[in-house]
Amino acid sequence: MIKFLKLYEKIGIFILIVVAGIFLAIASSNFLKTDTILNIITQGTYGAIVGFGMVLAITSGGFDLSVDAVVALTSVFLSILIPNIGIPLAIIISILISCFVGFLNGIIITKFGVNPLITTLSMATIVRGVALLIAKGKQIPISVIKFSAIGTGKLLGIPVPIWVMLVIFIIFYILLYQTPLGRHISAVGSNENAARISGLNVVFVKIIVYVLVALTASINGVIRTSQAMIGLPSMAPGFTLLVITITILGGTSLAGGKGNIIGAVFAGIFISMIYYGLNLVGVQYFYQLLSVGLILLFALFVDGLRQRYLESAKIKGIRV
Amino acid sequence: MDEMKFKRTKQNLGAFWGNFGLPLIFIIIVIVFSAANPSFATSYNLLSNLGFASYVGIAAIGMTFVIMTRNFDISIGSMLALVAVLGSSFIPRIGGVLGVISTILISCFLGFVNGIFVTKLRIPAFITTLGMLFIFRSLAYIYTNNVPVYISDRFWLYIGNGKLFGVLPFPILLMAVCYGAAYLLLRNSPVGRYIIAVGTNSRAAALSGINVDNIKILVFTLLGFFVGVASIVNSANLGAANPGLMGQNYEFQVITAVVLGGTALSGGNGSLGGSLVAALIVTFLGNGMGLMQVNSYWQLVATGLVMIFAVSLNKLKFYLLGQGEF
Repeated sequence: MIKFLKLYEKIGIFILIVVAGIFLAIASSNFLKTDTILNIITQGTYGAIVGFGMVLAITSGGFDLSVDAVVALTSVFLSILIPNIGIPLAIIISILISCFVGFLNGIIITKFGVNPLITTLSMATIVRGVALLIAKGKQIPISVIKFSAIGTGKLLGIPVPIWVMLVIFIIFYILLYQTPLGRHISAVGSNENAARISGLNVVFVKIIVYVLVALTASINGVIRTSQAMIGLPSMAPGFTLLVITITILGGTSLAGGKGNIIGAVFAGIFISMIYYGLNLVGVQYFYQLLSVGLILLFALFVDGLRQRYLESAKIKGIRV
Repeated sequence: MDEMKFKRTKQNLGAFWGNFGLPLIFIIIVIVFSAANPSFATSYNLLSNLGFASYVGIAAIGMTFVIMTRNFDISIGSMLALVAVLGSSFIPRIGGVLGVISTILISCFLGFVNGIFVTKLRIPAFITTLGMLFIFRSLAYIYTNNVPVYISDRFWLYIGNGKLFGVLPFPILLMAVCYGAAYLLLRNSPVGRYIIAVGTNSRAAALSGINVDNIKILVFTLLGFFVGVASIVNSANLGAANPGLMGQNYEFQVITAVVLGGTALSGGNGSLGGSLVAALIVTFLGNGMGLMQVNSYWQLVATGLVMIFAVSLNKLKFYLLGQGEF
C-alpha cells in the first residue's frame, strides 16, 4: 500500500491525463489532431507557469493569493508602456514592477509578521485597485502588432508560450532540486524554527520566494496580454484558485517542504483538457468554475486520506 | 527602575489602546466625515448607516468564533449570494416566513459542510472555503441563470427595511439581539469556554475531553447561521437577490472587521465588542468615502491597506502588553 501511495504521488496525475484523453478522443473526432493538442497544451501553460511559482511558495510553507491581480497589473502596465518605450523595455519594466509587489508581500510577511494568507489577500485587493485606477477602469487596446508574436507566434511549429514554459520549467526545476536555495526553501517549509536555528536566512529565502511567484504571474500576464492585445485591469478573475488547484493536483504537499514542479506541468495540461471537454459539451463559464472547485476539493480529499494512512502507518512502526 | 517604569507605561498604553483605541477611531471617523460633508451628520444618515452596519456586523460574530478556533472562512460572500437566491426563489411557493427560515437553515447547512470538510477530511479551512467560494458562486449563477430574483414579500422586506416606531431601522435591533445572544454564549456557557480552549491549545483541549472536531463544526455552522441572517437583511435592502453582485468582497470586509476588532489570528483571543465597533468603522468609512465621491477603485485600495494595517496594529497591542514579539 505504501509503495502504491508513493507511486500515486509521483504519477497519479498521468493516470488522470490518460483517462481524460481516452474520454475526449471518444467524445470528439477533433481531439486527436496536432492543432487541438498544441492548443490544449498552450492553454495549460497559463496555469503551469504560475504553478511553478506557487509550488515554491507552498513548499516554503506560505501561499500567494495575489497572482491574479499581478497578472492584471502587468497587463495594464504593458498596454501603457509599449507605445511609449518599445516592447522589450516595456516587458522588463512591467515584470520588475510585479517583482516589487512580490517583494512587498515578502517584507510584510517576514518583517511585520503578518499571516501570508491575509497579506496576499489584501495585496490582491490593493493591486487590483491600483490596476483599475491606472487604467481608469477601461480596456486599453495595444496597436503594436509585433507584440502579438509572444502569445500567438510559433517557433519550429510549436507555439511560443510552450517554449516559454519549457525555459521557466528548466530554471525552476534546477532551482528547487539542484541549488542550495532550493534546499533552503524546502527546509523552511518543513520546519521553520529548525531552519532558523541551523543558520538559514529565513527572511531572505521567503522574500525571494514571493518575488519569484510574482515573476511567474507577471510572465503569464505578458503572454495573456500578447494574445488579447489589450491591457485589461479585470484580467484573470478566479485565476488564483486555478493555480492552487494545479499545484496541489501536481503533488505539492500543502503541509510544506515537498514541492513537485513536474506535476504542475501535467496538472496544468489536465485542467486545460477538462476545459476543452466542457467546451465540447457546450456548457457555460460558471460550470468551469464549479468543476475547478470540485476537482480541488477532490484532490485535497485524496491527499488527506493519503496523509492519514501514512500517519497511521508511522504509528504502527512501518517505515515510510 | 527606569526599565520598570518603561514597562509599566508600555502596558498602560497597551491596555488603553485595547480598551479605547477602536471607539476613539470610530469617533474620529464620524467627526472627520461630518466636518467634510454636512449630509453625513444627519440623524437619518447615521441611523441608516447603523442599519447597514448589520450587513458586516452580524456575520462578524460568526467569523469571530471561527477565527478564535484558528480557522478561516472566505466562502461567506458566495454563501450570502447563494442562500439569498435560493431562499427568495422559494417565497412564491412557501411564503415569506418559511422562506426566511429555509434561507437560514440552508446557510447553516452550508456552514456545516465547510466544518465537515475542515475537521473530518482534514482539509485546511482556507483551502476548503476557497474552493467553496467558487462552488457556491457558480451554483448561484447556475440556479438563477444570472437573473436576479426580485423580492416583494413584506415580511422578508421588513427584516431589512422595517423601522421600529418609524425611526429605528429593524436591522439595528436584529444586530443587537445577535450580539447579546453571542455574548452570553461565549462568556456564560460551557460552549464558549470550549471555543476558547480549542483556539488556545487544541491538543490540550482534546486531552481534557473536549470534542475538538464538534466544536469546530459548531462554529462553522454558527457562521453559516449569521451569514443567513445577513443575507436576508442585505437582499431586503437591495429589493432583490442578485447572484453576481451580492457579497462581492464580503469575506474581506468581515475578516477586516474581526481582525481590526482585536481577535488574534493565532486563536483563542476574541472580542465580540471589538468586532462590533470595527464593523461600524468599516461601514462608516465606506459610506463616508462614497458620500465624498471617492473613486470606488481607491476604496478597494483603502480596504486592503486597512486590513494589513489592522493586523500590524494588533501585533503592536500584544507587544505593548508584553504578550508577544513585534
